[in-house]
Amino acid sequence: MGYIKWAFWIGFWLIVGGFFHYTLPQHDIVRIVNTYEERQDLTDWTRVFWSVPDDQAESLINRDVQFIQAVKPNGSAEVYRNEDTGWRWPPYFKFDTANLYTEANDAKSTKAAPEWYSITHYGWRNEYWSIFPNAVAIKPVAGPDVRIIPWVNIIILTVFFAVVWAIWVRWRRFRRARIDPVLEDIGDSFEAAGDSYQNTRGRFGRWVDSWKSKR
Amino acid sequence: MFALARLLVVGFIVLTVIYVCVSLYSRSVRRGKLKAEWDEAQMTGDREAWLKQGLEEYDHSLRRKLIWGVYVIPVVLVATIIYVVNHS
Repeated sequence: MGYIKWAFWIGFWLIVGGFFHYTLPQHDIVRIVNTYEERQDLTDWTRVFWSVPDDQAESLINRDVQFIQAVKPNGSAEVYRNEDTGWRWPPYFKFDTANLYTEANDAKSTKAAPEWYSITHYGWRNEYWSIFPNAVAIKPVAGPDVRIIPWVNIIILTVFFAVVWAIWVRWRRFRRARIDPVLEDIGDSFEAAGDSYQNTRGRFGRWVDSWKSKR
Repeated sequence: MFALARLLVVGFIVLTVIYVCVSLYSRSVRRGKLKAEWDEAQMTGDREAWLKQGLEEYDHSLRRKLIWGVYVIPVVLVATIIYVVNHS
């Protein structure tokens, strides 16, 4: 029973953590290399990792998506998609996809003369599923070593854990006052029932045994 | 535009539920405080009328009106996000 409880809570917090890791904004310091547009098939289950722009029919099975290619200071390649989130989840209310595409094209730089940009994005890159994080904003930064403090994430997570803590404390208080006494009651009567069953079984068993042929 | 309509409708319903719950809770808290005040001061006379008057004062108070923040804060938040994401 203890293992099931642990597995449940670990699984629960993994899902919560994954949800926040996917949804909250993250910043990458990158050099923007290129942009491209590619037709994407949106037929399989990875559809959930792509946006539904407002002017797009939900039944559309493929459409053009803009991408921004970038390189991190350590040389690893990053590819972002550039899509409106519109009025849907996650609540970034991004409508300026075309503007961002223009900014990204304007921000291209070469390895010889690098210009560093901070790309705000959410989402995951997964090569096997061909999914990409969605770029939300591009800002020039002084250099590749700039440190960005994620104030938005700090505020959202603080509020979230404050709410969780408030619910948890109230639930514990409620359980101690209302549920534990009842459970103890049930436990007592269950034990009593067990005892009396044992007695019955004793007598019943003896009676059944009396019908068996004795060898 | 369908997505906007859906956001508005769902948001309005959710916020209304929160608003009603907070209103009822806040009023009951005020009622409890008034009762405690009555008992502490060992007042005499018509307790119900006194409670009623106290709650009526509460209905016109700033504290009661602050609950409208349930609607105001999310709207301001969304407007701020839209501005920050699209115009800066």
